[in-house]
Amino acid sequence: MTSLARKVPAALGGRGPAGWLFMAPSLLILGTFVLFPIGRSLWYSLHNWTVGAAEQPWAGLDNYTRLFGDAQFQRALANTLIITVASTAVLVVVGLGLALALQSENVVSRVVRSVFFFPTVISLTTVGMVWRFLLDPDIGLVGGVTRALGLDPVNWLQSTALALPTVIFVNVWKNAGFVMIVLVAGLKAIPGEHYEAASLDGAGRLQTLRSITLPALRPTMLFVTFMVTVQSLQLFDLVYVMTSGGPLDHTETLVTKLYRDGFVNYETGYAAATSWVLFIVVVLVSALQLRIFRYNDAD
Amino acid sequence: MRNKRALAALASVALTGLLVSGCGNSDDSSGSGSGPVSLTVWTGFTGGDAPGYDQIVSDFNAAHPDIKVTMTKMSWDTIGQKLPSAWVTGQGPDIAAPSSDPNAIAQYVKTNSVLEITNTGTGDDKVNTDQLAPALVKEFTYNGKLYAVPANYATLSLYYNKKLVSTPPTTVAELQDQAAKLTTGGNYGLVLADNNTIQMWPILQWLSGGDIVDTSNCSVVGTPASIASLQPWVDLVKNKKISPVGLSGAEADSLFSAGKAAMEINGPWAAASYKTAGVDFGLAAVPTGADGKSVTLGSTAPLAISAKTKHPQQAQEFLAYWTSKTAQLKFSKSTGFPPLRTDLADDATLKADPTVSIFANQVPNAKLYLPQVPNATKVDTDAYVPLIQTATRNGDVAGAAATAAKKINELTGCTQ
Repeated sequence: MTSLARKVPAALGGRGPAGWLFMAPSLLILGTFVLFPIGRSLWYSLHNWTVGAAEQPWAGLDNYTRLFGDAQFQRALANTLIITVASTAVLVVVGLGLALALQSENVVSRVVRSVFFFPTVISLTTVGMVWRFLLDPDIGLVGGVTRALGLDPVNWLQSTALALPTVIFVNVWKNAGFVMIVLVAGLKAIPGEHYEAASLDGAGRLQTLRSITLPALRPTMLFVTFMVTVQSLQLFDLVYVMTSGGPLDHTETLVTKLYRDGFVNYETGYAAATSWVLFIVVVLVSALQLRIFRYNDAD
Repeated sequence: MRNKRALAALASVALTGLLVSGCGNSDDSSGSGSGPVSLTVWTGFTGGDAPGYDQIVSDFNAAHPDIKVTMTKMSWDTIGQKLPSAWVTGQGPDIAAPSSDPNAIAQYVKTNSVLEITNTGTGDDKVNTDQLAPALVKEFTYNGKLYAVPANYATLSLYYNKKLVSTPPTTVAELQDQAAKLTTGGNYGLVLADNNTIQMWPILQWLSGGDIVDTSNCSVVGTPASIASLQPWVDLVKNKKISPVGLSGAEADSLFSAGKAAMEINGPWAAASYKTAGVDFGLAAVPTGADGKSVTLGSTAPLAISAKTKHPQQAQEFLAYWTSKTAQLKFSKSTGFPPLRTDLADDATLKADPTVSIFANQVPNAKLYLPQVPNATKVDTDAYVPLIQTATRNGDVAGAAATAAKKINELTGCTQ
């Protein structure tokens, strides 16, 4: 980071005005559509901002202090963290297992990989609607099968105990193929000589996995966990379609709460404060991941 | 080399200019030329009643060659997301139904986004406020000023599946009894939605003497009468499973459409989709309560004009037509909605219509949900819905009501 901070001005300094002119379109777009809204949302969060109101009174940190006394926010924060940790952990384990099992280049592996990857290309909204229908205890396939087995159908999405695990399951189902494909690419990038050397040294499969495969996969694992973590922290579509945050806020996430406060209750300032808390959570979790994967060493 | 670089930089700046100019809004579709004035309308009327609203617009356009109205339909959620900022920035439609919740208009009044409707009086070119149902006019009047007109007026009735129900219930006791008995063989006796729905649970409470707030906007959900009105229904849902818990309105409708629900309390808009689904259904008035009187929910969607419209006169003319006797008579006949005008209450053709008459006959017994209660939408989503969802899961009505009462009083500003 420090070296980057030195490199950028140095690079621009050598280019003169032409360098800045070349960068102007990107800077303009970045400034208008990314940096300005980010700064503006911070400004909103410090006001009792309501869309269209004649006065937007200054609130200081009131929105933030109110957030931490808001039981719905506390539940949304806890749910978001549970979804993120559980989804990421399960996805890495399942994705790695699938990648190891399906890395060979034969027809069966290719077909099975395609099947697992298929949910990745479908939108989260569609996935949510399909699963909501499948899990419906009265008219869904899962309920029908349960009944056919002589059991009472389970109301997966209306049970306060089962709704959150169900959402996590669907999130894992949707993203397992993506994790698998990225890890397969990472596995293929590991030189075959490493495995040959390990084999000559008499290493077993488990030892090869622990000493060769996993260390070599570390940069790929960092990328994939980073992507999955950020996606889970920002989870909205799936929850909105499947449960709308219910039952009784048991699947409410920071983003569904943000949406409700900002676009249903029109409390823009309060919603902006939630978005900044989410931003801080993303930064902290990302920093933790970099630490866990010892990014600097890998770099 | 230097010239090439300078040329490329110049092209880059020109591209930036193009991008910036692309962000501007040069579109003026409001008909400032010599043609007819163009008015845009956003509504969420996407259900089985949609053709009725389309007919009003096409009839208006045919009768007013100097005005061209274009109605765009989208989901209520989408309107809720787009309209507030669109109207504040002057980019939105001239006219809109901001929500299916009449209380939603309060937010637009608060942000000065809606135009006061002044073109009132007698005659077809004015909004005949004296002929509109008084409760509806009152609902859209703030500080003595009218900010919207009712786009419709619906009451809720009891839909029953004729294959499962031979004689519809006429009293609450019969309704409870039939709901329990008809819950058998994978069917539900009475499906009750508690979220994202037209309100069904308040009707059940009103029928047995319960309520949500009093005239001072203070909570009464925790009073013995309100708890007693809710407890039998909670017991029926929790113990007798007359309805799944946590149903949304769409889910309850799906169960009735699929023939898996014997009864449902719903509005006239549902009839078309039930017919399409092939359900052989009947309609009955909501049963009478413990005191021998019937009560049901009255529901209306507001139709308001943007404060920044360039054509306030023509927009008000359109609202006058929408609520006119001619348009409403035709609308009621085609959709089954009761007329929102009092001068159509005794219309012989509407009385002869079996669907319209069921809904229209209940107009005198209809109550609006949380009319003009501060933060009414949040009272519903943050207090009343959790009350029902908690009680139907754990059976503890008193405990859930105590929590809801506290929340309601916070939201309404009740200080008692």
